[in-house]
Amino acid sequence: MLGITIGVASITAILALGIGASTIVNTQVEALGGTTAVVRPGKTDISGIDQLAQIPTQQQFSASTLTLNDVDTISKMEGIAGVAPLMVLPGAVKGTNPAPAGTPIIATSPSLKEVNNLSVRDGEFLSDDLIVSTVVVGPQLAIDTFGTEQAIGKTLMLKGSPFTVVGILSRTNTPINFNGVDFDSSAFITTQSGALLNQSIPQIQQINIQVSSKDSLESTLKNVTDGISKNHLGQADFSVLSGKEISQPANRLFTAIIAITVAIASISLLVGGVGIMNSMLVGVAERTREIGIRRALGASSRDVVAQFLIESLALSIGGGIAGFITGYGLAYAASIFLPFDPGFSWLIVGIAAAMSISVGMLFGLYPAIRAAHKDPISALRQYD
Amino acid sequence: MSDTPTPVIVLKDLRKRFGLGDTEHFAIDGIDLTIEKGEFIAIMGPSGCGKTTLMNILGLLDSAIEGEYELDGKNVASLSQRRQAMIRSRQIGFIFQSFNLISRLSVIENVALPLTYKGVPKLQRLKKASEMLANFHLQEREYYMPRQLSGGQTQRVAIARALVNEPSIILADEPTGNLDSRASHIIMEELSDLHHKGNTIIMVTHNPRLTTYASRVITMLDGKIDTDTNVLKEETAAETKKPLGKKKKKSKE
Repeated sequence: MLGITIGVASITAILALGIGASTIVNTQVEALGGTTAVVRPGKTDISGIDQLAQIPTQQQFSASTLTLNDVDTISKMEGIAGVAPLMVLPGAVKGTNPAPAGTPIIATSPSLKEVNNLSVRDGEFLSDDLIVSTVVVGPQLAIDTFGTEQAIGKTLMLKGSPFTVVGILSRTNTPINFNGVDFDSSAFITTQSGALLNQSIPQIQQINIQVSSKDSLESTLKNVTDGISKNHLGQADFSVLSGKEISQPANRLFTAIIAITVAIASISLLVGGVGIMNSMLVGVAERTREIGIRRALGASSRDVVAQFLIESLALSIGGGIAGFITGYGLAYAASIFLPFDPGFSWLIVGIAAAMSISVGMLFGLYPAIRAAHKDPISALRQYD
Repeated sequence: MSDTPTPVIVLKDLRKRFGLGDTEHFAIDGIDLTIEKGEFIAIMGPSGCGKTTLMNILGLLDSAIEGEYELDGKNVASLSQRRQAMIRSRQIGFIFQSFNLISRLSVIENVALPLTYKGVPKLQRLKKASEMLANFHLQEREYYMPRQLSGGQTQRVAIARALVNEPSIILADEPTGNLDSRASHIIMEELSDLHHKGNTIIMVTHNPRLTTYASRVITMLDGKIDTDTNVLKEETAAETKKPLGKKKKKSKE
């Protein structure tokens, strides 16, 4: 029973958090008016099981298939309100103090401001007129590197090259979003400087697109797909995602966590199931005489099977309910340290119920059948 | 006896074998028996003569038999397990020497148990069990647990349980074996009442005194029927009681 509780709890917790995380991304996408789409390199298989089964693949480490050429193609299309490529470059960021390791340097185009609805607190956002070595920083990064949000005019070292801070963004407070980076602690530079920092090879992780109207989203995206496809000589080495598809956990780590949790949960479910089977077998042995009496009083073997199955189901469902509650408790406890709240969905209830019922059935069946096959005469002879 | 059209139980050359080869042993070794409706049969015999085995066979708990067993004109061998369970539930009431109440359940739940397997709804089950307990003057003990009752009371509960489905055949395996003579007497009176109401009762006993209640006494020896005495109760009820009772006393002395 404890095993089932743990299994159901871990699955409930992780699903609740997963739903919470994708809800947060969904709301962001909604907030952008449902006119947002993204282009990502590589073929994104959006079937859930593949997501679970996948561990980070070489795709993450290989060169992106998207090019600035694609960005140009998209921006020239009809119905496109804005295009912003996102090149996330790893590298040391240093102001007065060094920024935390892994601070993203995002090379993008000025239209990111419109596409992602960013607002600038101080100074200005990137624009085409600015000289190459200017940088816009997120408020958290400004604090991390200069100890203040008033960082305009200061010099930020990106991968060893000096950049002048021209703007500070307002806080977005969305560490989890469909861009895969936290804008609050990022440094934004132009694509040209990005290419310079990266040995002139633009590595575009994602292209954010904003279409001019919600109704034309589908047709525009089709044009985008066709356009990029032409650039890529017909190779489907990219994917265009819109709406809910974007909120598929972009972070592979998240899927890995889910996969591990599912593995742990299934082990503890198995252990819990064996525990139930064990206690049921003991129960059957202890109550052999009762079985004999019941048989003599007219219970058919089917009645006996039903009785013991119901008992094991009661055990497993009880464990399941406890696990469900514990799972939500854990999810809420974990959400203290996470930027989002766990979500609720009947799907989780269904999964928890299905798991505990199937474990109860599966592991209760053998003891129940054993009970039913006991010879009533020898069962009656046994004294308890 | 043969004037009654359908006997309740007909056994033809019934055998029950235990073991194989060298250890082969017939617990029941060729019994022919016809039991009519409304008989009160006492089966006697020394230990190990196959009385309990016979009861188990009659109660459809043991179906690995040779020979023929017809219950209400139907050959038992042709019945499915499920059908046999149904017959146990509707036609046969068991009374055991060791009472065999389920100790986890209260008195009334024990009595209501056979109704469960007949598919009676819970409220009706309890109502019926309560009525049945009232017949045995145990109404105020309904919610006692079996361990809180005396032996005689427990056996009365067991009889109430055996009767709650209104079975036509009652199989009692030494119903008074664990009781003192006073409680035995009460139990036997209850069984006797049932007999007068038209139930067929088959009782195994070690106590010759109890055979006075029976209408027919069968003694068994080594898996065979030794003697089969018809005591025609209507005519000789008064006389039979005494001589048998005396005999018992003599043998004791």
